Amino acid sequence: MNRVVEGFEDQLRIGLHVCRGNWSKREDVLISGDYRPLVDCFSKMNVQQLVLEYATPRAGDLAVIGRKLSNREIGLGVCNPRTEQPESVDFIADRLRQALSYWTPEKIFLNPDCGFGCFANRCVNEESVAFEKLNAMVAAAKRIRAECGV
Amino acid sequence: MFFPVTQVGSWPRSAKLLAALREKRSGRLAYDDFEAIAKEEIRRCVDLQLQAGVDYVVDGELRRDNFYSFITDKVEGTRLMSLAEMLDTVEDKAAFEEMLQTLDAPAFAIRNPTCVGKLQRRKPLAVDDLKFLRSLTDRPVKVTLPGPYLLTRAMWVTAYSVDAYGDKPVMADDIIAILREELAELVAENAEFVQFDEPVLTEVVHSGEDKRRTFM
Repeated sequence: MNRVVEGFEDQLRIGLHVCRGNWSKREDVLISGDYRPLVDCFSKMNVQQLVLEYATPRAGDLAVIGRKLSNREIGLGVCNPRTEQPESVDFIADRLRQALSYWTPEKIFLNPDCGFGCFANRCVNEESVAFEKLNAMVAAAKRIRAECGV
Repeated sequence: MFFPVTQVGSWPRSAKLLAALREKRSGRLAYDDFEAIAKEEIRRCVDLQLQAGVDYVVDGELRRDNFYSFITDKVEGTRLMSLAEMLDTVEDKAAFEEMLQTLDAPAFAIRNPTCVGKLQRRKPLAVDDLKFLRSLTDRPVKVTLPGPYLLTRAMWVTAYSVDAYGDKPVMADDIIAILREELAELVAENAEFVQFDEPVLTEVVHSGEDKRRTFM
């Protein structure tokens, strides 16, 4: 990765997305485990933002990355792209508040855990549900901006 | 603005787009006809994001078969192969089939960009997508690309790749060069945000004691 981005780091925002699989709606067949074994690898990578899963318990605790890599931006995964029920604004806002105990506000982006259709023939969701999930994230971001006065 | 909302990249494909992707793959749909359908679908995807109030817009990767296999459309020396086709080259067929079943990964629906010759960037991977997306919105946008590790892992299938490269790291050098070329052009187009996808990293550290790999 560093060889790819060398010389470009200051010219645009470069993000790295790492998830645990998004080919099936069955949580039991996707990979499980926190980001601990990848902390050293992430800290050596010259990327500005880490786009990570945090909407599923399979991804583990926010502190694992939050304690070590709060100097990077976090693309905070707050929606499971595979479920039919949109996350509540309360759930997303809570996740965002937790992230604020590790990252400063300007370093936090909100996104789903992964794409809604990484494999064309195996999209993990419907457009209408994806749209609802986007709405929930926007509403949560507004609420916490108001709360923080930012 | 704090807490900008964005996506990781891909959006659900409509039945119409899935049919168009299928027709394109089998050579029954001309490039321009596919483009017209894809653009219409991307327009709807962008409209929905703007309606929701998303801050960094994506194009939904709607032109792509999947988030890494699409490079077979752009890079010389590649062939799009379903996992079912790849089964022919796998030594332990029973284990590979079992892995796909265990993972609930359908062998015909998921395709791999296999390296079958010297890799050369024939067309930009994402620059055209970026230009079209820019024509639809003034908001900042995010461009997604498969990461170098994912591509190296997925593209190397010894039976097909060994003649051109001899060894995987030699092929990786060319993948890095292709991604750097793409980044340079994206920078020239004032891309603000490029995301590299490396989902395989979690598999490397969490695949369990048997170190069984997934299909990527």
